Amino acid sequence: MFQEILREFNNDEADRFAAELRYVITDMICRAGSGHLGGALSLVEIMVTLYWRSMNIDPKNPKWEERDRLVLSKGHAAPVLYAVLAYRGFFPKRLLGTLNADGTTLPSHADARTVPGIDMTTGSLGQGLSAASGMALVAKKDGRKHHVFCIIGDGESNEGQNWEAALFAPHWKLDNLIAVTDYNKLQIDGFTADILDLEPLADKWKAFGWNVLEMYGHCWEDIYETIIRAKVLKNGKPAMIIAHTVKAKDCPLIENQAGSHNIKIPDQKTHDQYLTSLTGGVFPLPY
Amino acid sequence: MKLHEQELRFVYGYVLNELIAENRNIYCLEADLSKASGTNPMVLGQFPNNFINVGVAEANMIGVAAGLASEGKIPFCATFCCFATRRVYDQITLSVAYADLNVKIIGTGPGITQGPNGGTHMCFQDLAIMRAMPNMQIFSPCDAYELRQVLRYMAANKGGMYLQLLRQQLPAVFDETYQFQPNHAVTLIKGNDVTLISTGYTTHFAFKSAQELQQEGIRVELLHCPCVKPFPIEDIVSSVRKTGVVVTVENQNIIGGLGGAVCETLSEHYPVKVKRLGIPDRFGEIATEEYLFEKHGFSTEHIKNACRESVKHKN
Repeated sequence: MFQEILREFNNDEADRFAAELRYVITDMICRAGSGHLGGALSLVEIMVTLYWRSMNIDPKNPKWEERDRLVLSKGHAAPVLYAVLAYRGFFPKRLLGTLNADGTTLPSHADARTVPGIDMTTGSLGQGLSAASGMALVAKKDGRKHHVFCIIGDGESNEGQNWEAALFAPHWKLDNLIAVTDYNKLQIDGFTADILDLEPLADKWKAFGWNVLEMYGHCWEDIYETIIRAKVLKNGKPAMIIAHTVKAKDCPLIENQAGSHNIKIPDQKTHDQYLTSLTGGVFPLPY
Repeated sequence: MKLHEQELRFVYGYVLNELIAENRNIYCLEADLSKASGTNPMVLGQFPNNFINVGVAEANMIGVAAGLASEGKIPFCATFCCFATRRVYDQITLSVAYADLNVKIIGTGPGITQGPNGGTHMCFQDLAIMRAMPNMQIFSPCDAYELRQVLRYMAANKGGMYLQLLRQQLPAVFDETYQFQPNHAVTLIKGNDVTLISTGYTTHFAFKSAQELQQEGIRVELLHCPCVKPFPIEDIVSSVRKTGVVVTVENQNIIGGLGGAVCETLSEHYPVKVKRLGIPDRFGEIATEEYLFEKHGFSTEHIKNACRESVKHKN
């Protein structure tokens, strides 16, 4: 449905769809009783753009060799990836209601073993950019044309392994690697500026030899065009897109608050409060 | 060329070249220790396109290997044991074992064989910590022919695997006809008095001990375990049913490694007294191997004494 709409991209329809996804993701996490809502909601527009407009994929053939890959290194944001994959047709939407349930195939952190469409298992922060670099290196060595996307968190950028990969990818001229930093300025214990300041972030990636682009991660045109710019650069350097985002976007109860990282839902009343607080409205659930 | 006349690191590079020649999906990953691993210039020279040096960045090496494996490649990642396991334990746990990816990890210079690098580089716990990781197979071959067979097994079978690579030249225990059997111990000497169990480096000393004890009339059954996980439970229990007492010897902390595996196995299946020889829960130090064997109590003399005592006090 939305796929058809995107042939003639329409901001209003896209906004409505993003609101629907936010509603479903929030409900998934509330049903589970707890979860990483803030960092999932900050990625909605970016993930929708990637999976509907930017990435070359085939939901009927998740392991298609020529597909673009995506490593969600901030694996705790898995609920947004699960929702996007289900709505894109990789697996039945009804499964979304099983997030974190006993015996589920949709665990809290992104799992390539159990979820069609996920390219790398993640969950321990700092490891995904290395894996994405390995995948991009294979594409180079095998002469394949696809891109490898990797989404890292800003708090995650504290992990030293990212900076090992930051040295590795330009050395091997991985201009088929496009990383995105979800720069929502918050990590578990507070603002990134207060806990472990990343600034000047763009200068750091530039100094490591990356093409650095910046975008507002909730603006459809900006996201779409920035990804295109990153794709066509092809100057022997990997690309880092610093996406300025809002943690827990459109969920006023917790928006832009450190507490949004992992919410606890003790009862139905709290669950309802979260759903009704979402600014995008109420939607039918697919499960 | 006779393989056993070469350093084992040479054999590692040599066999990797054989494997890459057969299957170009096999990759050699190094973290700035490629000469120490024996792959530079061996593999770099012959298959430069299959050689990836990530620099001094072991965590990234494991992650890159996971990426390669997710694309169907078979990466062999080598560095010193201490960096190959304890330094990157979480990376291996999550990006390899939990993710169920086909990554092979080669730890070089196990235990006291780190010699001149001293205590900082002597890893006595790699068998223990790697054993505790699900989805991980562990090998510690004792000579060139076994090393070659185990490497071939690792390349041919899927899954996360760890191998302890001795770097020096060592006498042949086996020959070209040796066939590696996973899940099995190798009975090097048959006997009824005491079961002596070893792996990797210590098999050479256990062998000498068992031969010398034969002269004294003590018939040692020597089991060499090239495969520490999965562990050859049946072979060990069947030997111990015969002998009733066990001595283990390893180039590792006696906690959690070979001796630990033997105790866990026997306490469940056939409880008998087990004497564990190895490093008695200490760190290493810069010293000759002779000094370290003596200090920590797992020289040939210590092995013989432990066997004598075990036989004497057997009920």
